[in-house]
Amino acid sequence: MKALRRSNTSSSSRASSSSQPLSWIHLRSLLIIASSTVPDRGNVKSPWSQRKRQRSALSRRYWNSLFAANGRLRDGGIKFLKKARNRGIDPSIRSDVWPFLLGVYDLNSSEVERNAVKVRKRIEYEKLRIRCRKISNYSNQENSLVTLDNIYSEAWLDLIEDPYSPKISEYGTSAFSLSLWSGNEDRPVYDRSPDGNSNLGGEDDHSVITHLDVFLAGTDSSDSDHSVEILRTGESYPKLTNSASLKVDNSNRTIEDFRTWQRIVRLDAIRADPEWVIYSPTQAGISEVAAKRYAKAVGLKDFDHLEPCMIYHASRLVAALEAYAIYDPEIGYCQGMSDLLSPILTVIEDDCEAFWCFVGFMKKARHNFRLDELGIRRQLAIVSRIIRSKDAHLYQHLEQLQAEDCFFVYRLVLVLFRRELTFEQTVCLWEVMWADQAAIRAGIGRSAWGRMRLQAPPTDDLLLYAIAAFVLQRRKLIIERYSSMDEIMKECNSVAGKLDVWRLLDDAHDLVVTLHDKIQLPLEIS
Amino acid sequence: MGSSSGFGSGHDYSFKILIIGDSGVGKSSLLVSFISNHVDDLTPTIGVDFKIKHLTVGGKKLKLTIWDTAGQEKFRTLTSSYFRNAQGIILVYDVTQRETFTNLFEVWAKEVELYSTNQDCIKMLVANKVDKESERVVTKEEGIAFAKEYGCVFLECSAKTRANVEKCFNELAHKILEVPSLLEEGSTVVKNTILKQKQERQASAGGGCCS
Repeated sequence: MKALRRSNTSSSSRASSSSQPLSWIHLRSLLIIASSTVPDRGNVKSPWSQRKRQRSALSRRYWNSLFAANGRLRDGGIKFLKKARNRGIDPSIRSDVWPFLLGVYDLNSSEVERNAVKVRKRIEYEKLRIRCRKISNYSNQENSLVTLDNIYSEAWLDLIEDPYSPKISEYGTSAFSLSLWSGNEDRPVYDRSPDGNSNLGGEDDHSVITHLDVFLAGTDSSDSDHSVEILRTGESYPKLTNSASLKVDNSNRTIEDFRTWQRIVRLDAIRADPEWVIYSPTQAGISEVAAKRYAKAVGLKDFDHLEPCMIYHASRLVAALEAYAIYDPEIGYCQGMSDLLSPILTVIEDDCEAFWCFVGFMKKARHNFRLDELGIRRQLAIVSRIIRSKDAHLYQHLEQLQAEDCFFVYRLVLVLFRRELTFEQTVCLWEVMWADQAAIRAGIGRSAWGRMRLQAPPTDDLLLYAIAAFVLQRRKLIIERYSSMDEIMKECNSVAGKLDVWRLLDDAHDLVVTLHDKIQLPLEIS
Repeated sequence: MGSSSGFGSGHDYSFKILIIGDSGVGKSSLLVSFISNHVDDLTPTIGVDFKIKHLTVGGKKLKLTIWDTAGQEKFRTLTSSYFRNAQGIILVYDVTQRETFTNLFEVWAKEVELYSTNQDCIKMLVANKVDKESERVVTKEEGIAFAKEYGCVFLECSAKTRANVEKCFNELAHKILEVPSLLEEGSTVVKNTILKQKQERQASAGGGCCS
């Protein structure tokens, strides 16, 4: 374990100079390969190897240099993603960069387009918050078995100033529902037609589209073009289908469900990890009056024992998590989600922007929180498969302990190392992971990575490779000393503060290079 | 995170204890309060975790493996697999939150009935947060009545002030030692427990969630 106790990653200490000439980097890579003592890398050096780690993170200067005059990323974001993936992001620009990484803004968007998205998102978020308040009020006085659909409809009808009102009643109630998403898709798809086609339609079905969008996303007349924009930018909502094609109906989510989520959100919000405080001096310095005002606005209670900054943070968690529960009622709220949101709130001070970044994060992470546990089981199965492919001896040992299903890394998968890494390390790991996912989302294939073509291609499952690498780093300990799954779980749950995130990534890179073609992702876990 | 003792220390018996109850009732706090004599604010438990405590009770050296579980329904398929072969189950509620008490009837007692594998397993009902007397909404009498109905040992305690915390685990250990079938389980190799637990988890994997 001592070997793992390397210094914590701190990108804040990295120089923020612009990138070095590529030729020099390339030359240096070759030198490193030649002098590498790490065995079995197949002459493929990862961007996260020890020597390369010292290079600078994505700096403000470099970031700014990537944009053309109209505010569009010049090359569709390739350079940006490469840099972010390989070196991380300078803390001072994270709040600017994350919306791009997390898909809030399209990588090809111009500044004008982003401003439009910003305005729209703000309205949308406000509406979600209004619904939260509405449901809270409702639940205090009315039958708690009323479905959320009914309440949405009511809230919607109350708020609406819609030019297409004649058709409202057709779609305002249970005719359309949030459906369970089919499970083998990478992210929610915004369907607007019974057969699931989401291509842009003509004027004919305008009213239908608008009403569906309004139904889910917002309610005022300023949103009349909203649906089109959402579809065009690939924005995602939980899958929306006509009731005729529903397989699983989420419309039975009731006020009672929301109340349960709300109760647990509040419980978790006031016991959030205070580690973030040193990373956001402005939020940490909030006055008691302001913090309590915010707490009152979201109905937070039982916070008397907390410092103002923690009251403020708890209130922000409540606001965003409740809104998310309404936004994605299939998932609602599950413990662990506050772990994922907290760093985003720390980095992004604006609630609305933070919320949409969280939504972007959750596009993939939401599977972990499904009630049927299919998502988490699928991920554990992939970790298991990676280990089996890489290290038959270790896998055999796990089988003997009946631990080959890798349930001992459950928490690592669920909250993406948040409990094991420091704030800064977590954010570094997530950024790399997000950059990979963004590259895939943007269709930036292996060839587009140019010089990196010999390296590991971006993968949607980098986290799982990192978790497998984490287990493999402990193979000797596991094989020689552990004789039960409990002991392995104990080890996995006791590594907080002892990990080196870049070494994890470096090892994960090795696994991706050698295994990514072999690991067939099981879509269904029986 | 570390437990007070490592693996492999000599002991006469090894028992598995499970702590269950709604989110936020103080399951982890109770455990940490017992293990490390102090109470920090704790983040929510994700999935399951466990700690080990070595105790000497009635002249016997005991190793208690105490499993702490997440309270939210989402984790119930996972946590239900940990009931198997538990010699002691601690059901916790928060005296300031009635819902956490009513859920004992509606959720947790049923879980125990469904998943516990030893009829003789000692159940202990713990009313936590009694330091917040002014906010109490569940009376001691109600707790006693529940304990009587479900055959539980009853104790009111506070993880925060540590009132009755040690007593809770000591008394549980005492009760376990009085039951021959539990003693027998406790003296067998822990590995068996793990294997069975594992099998149970695999068996439940296809079963979806329970409510």
